[in-house]
Amino acid sequence: MSALALEREPLGERLRRYALRNASLVLSYLVLVAMVIYYVAYAAGHGQLSVFSVTSVFNNTMPLLIAAMGQTCVVLTGGIDLSVGSIVSLSNSLAAVYMQDSLRSVVEWSALILIIGSLAGATNGLLVAVGRIQPILVTLASLSVWAGAALFVLPQPGGTIPAGFTALLAGNAWGIVPASSIALLLLIVFWMAFRRTGLAVALYAVGNDERSARANGVPVVWAKIAAYALSGFFAALAGLYLSAVTTSGDATTGAIYTLTSIAAVVLGGVSLFGGRGSAAGSMAGAFVLTLIVNLLFFANINPLLQEFFQGLVLILAMAASVVVNLLLGRSS
Amino acid sequence: MADQTQVAAGHPPRFVDPLRRSIALTFGAAALLFVIGGMIQPGFLRPANIFSVLVVASFIGFVAAGQTLVILTAGIDLSVAWVINAGGVMLTSLAAGSDLNALWVVPVTLCMGLAVGLTNGLGIVFLGVPPVVMTLGMNGIMQGLVLGLTNGFTNTSAKAYAPKAVSQIVNGTLPGGIPIDLVLWALVAVALWVMLSRMAFGRWIYALGNNPVAAYLAGGSTRRITVAVYALAGAFSAFTGIILVGYAGQATLGAGDPYLFASIAAVVIGGTSILGGRGHYLGTIAGAIILTVLTDVLTLLSIPEAGRSVLYGLAILAALLIYGRQPEEV
Repeated sequence: MSALALEREPLGERLRRYALRNASLVLSYLVLVAMVIYYVAYAAGHGQLSVFSVTSVFNNTMPLLIAAMGQTCVVLTGGIDLSVGSIVSLSNSLAAVYMQDSLRSVVEWSALILIIGSLAGATNGLLVAVGRIQPILVTLASLSVWAGAALFVLPQPGGTIPAGFTALLAGNAWGIVPASSIALLLLIVFWMAFRRTGLAVALYAVGNDERSARANGVPVVWAKIAAYALSGFFAALAGLYLSAVTTSGDATTGAIYTLTSIAAVVLGGVSLFGGRGSAAGSMAGAFVLTLIVNLLFFANINPLLQEFFQGLVLILAMAASVVVNLLLGRSS
Repeated sequence: MADQTQVAAGHPPRFVDPLRRSIALTFGAAALLFVIGGMIQPGFLRPANIFSVLVVASFIGFVAAGQTLVILTAGIDLSVAWVINAGGVMLTSLAAGSDLNALWVVPVTLCMGLAVGLTNGLGIVFLGVPPVVMTLGMNGIMQGLVLGLTNGFTNTSAKAYAPKAVSQIVNGTLPGGIPIDLVLWALVAVALWVMLSRMAFGRWIYALGNNPVAAYLAGGSTRRITVAVYALAGAFSAFTGIILVGYAGQATLGAGDPYLFASIAAVVIGGTSILGGRGHYLGTIAGAIILTVLTDVLTLLSIPEAGRSVLYGLAILAALLIYGRQPEEV
C-alpha cells in the first residue's frame, strides 16, 4: 500500500493496526495499567499513597528495568545473556568497596565501572560472534567468571555507598519527584534516540535473519559485539543503581537479575527468537514483576509466595500472547 | 565442524564419529584432572577418595540425566534448581524422619517431580510457550511454593532429618567399598544408554532435536515425546533432591541452586549440542566428573572460592572453544 493511503486512514484504524501488530506489547501495557490502577486505588484507600511509597516502587524497579534494557539488546539479536546477574554483582561490589564520598570519586568510579561492564559484555560478544559459540554457553561461563571477580572484590557483604550517590539516584528531586522517575525518562529518551541509529537497525536485522542481514551488508559481527557490550554496560549501570538503592555491597546480590531480566524482556513481548520487540515492553515487564510484590502485600498474601506469582504471570502472559497471535492467524 | 577443518586442510575425511571422539576426549580430560589431583596431594588417587569425588559428581550426573534428554530435543530445563529443592524438603517434611513413611513419600516425591515436568511439557507443547520461559516460570512457581509452604524454611517440619533408610542407602557402601550411590548412578547410566541407543523412543528424541518438522512428518508423535522428556527431567530433579537430602541429612534453602548451571555445563562439556540432536548421556557423565574434579583440584591448590569460580568459568570457555564452536556460515 502507498504511504498516502496510510495517511488517510482514520486514527482508530491505525491504532487497531498497531495493536494487532504489537499484540504482546499492548498486552503487557494493559496488565501494567491494570496493576497501577489497583495499586493507586488500594494505596490511596488505605492512606499509604505517599511520595515515599511511590519513590520506593520506582527505586525497586530501576535496577531490574535497566538490566532488562541491556538484555533486550541481546535478545533482539536472537541471543541471551546469562552473565547479567554477575556483572550487576561485580558493579555493586566495586562501588561498595572503592567509591568514596567525593564528587570526583563518584564520577571516576561510576565511569570505570561502566567501562568494565561494557568490556565484560564485549568479551561475551566477541566469543559469540567471532568464537561462534552459542550465546547461552558463553554467558553461562562468563557468569561464573564475573561472579568470582565480584567475590574477589568483596568477599564479605559490606562496604558503603556515598550518601550523595544515593540521594542523586534514589532520592527525590524538589522533595516530591522521585529521582528514579527522571532517570526513567532519560532512559526512555535514550532508547527512542537509539532506535533511530544504524546500530539498532542492525540488531533487529541480525535477529530477524542473520543470513540476509549479512547478505545486505549489515556488519553482523560488530552488531553482535555491540549488543553484548550494551548488555554489559546496562548491567553495570543496574549494579550502580542497585548500590544507590541498597546503600551497601554484596557480591551475590545481583544473581537474581539474570533470570528476572529475561522474565521482564519476555513479559514485555520481546521475542526470544530475536528481531521483534522493544525496550518499551521490557520496561513494562520490569514494572509488572516489581509491582506484583507490592500487590501481594496489599492482598495480604504471604510475601514468600512472590516468586510463585511472578512465575505464574510469566507463563500466563506468554501463553496469552501465543493465543492472541493464533487468533490473529499469525504464528509466534 | 571438525570434519570441515580436516577437509579444508586437504585430508580425506576420517570416519571417526565426532561424538565418540568428544566423549573419549572428555573422559581423558577427567582422568588427567584426577592425575593432577594426585600429583598435588598423594592421597587423592586412593580408591576411597576417588569414590567420594564420584559420589559428589553423581549429584550433577542425576540432574544432568534429565537435562541431557531435554537438551537433545533442543529444549532446556531451567526449573531444575527448585524442583531439586522441592524434592528434598518434601521428603524430609512428609517423612518426618520415619523409614516407614519414606516408603510412600519417596514415590510421591518422584511423582511430584514427574508432575512438574509434565506441566512443563504440556505448557511447551499445548500453550506454545518457549521452553526457556516455561521452565523459568516453573522454577519461580516451585520456589514460591517451597518458600510459602515452609514459611521460608522456618517450619519445624522443613527442618526434619532425612529418614535413616534414605541416608543409609545414599551414604552406604557395598562390600569392596563401592558406594551404593554410584551403583544407582550406574543404573541410571545403563537405563539412559538403553533408552537413547537401543529404543525407538531414544531415536525419536534425536530425530526431534535434529529437525522437529521432519520428525513429525516421519510419523513421530513429537508432542508426546516432548512431554515425556520434560516429565522425565522433572522426575530426575526430584530424585536428585532426595539423594542430596540423604547425603546431607537435612534439606537446606537453595540446595538446588548450583545444579542449574552445573547440569547444563556437564551436558555441554560432555559434547552434547545445545541445539539438540547430537550427544549422549555417556558424555554428560564425563562432564559431571570433570566439573567435580576441577572444583576439588582448585580447592586442593587452596584457591579461594572467588578464584575457583573464575577458573571454573574459564575452563568451560576453553572446552567450548575446543569443540563447542558452530561451523562458519557462508
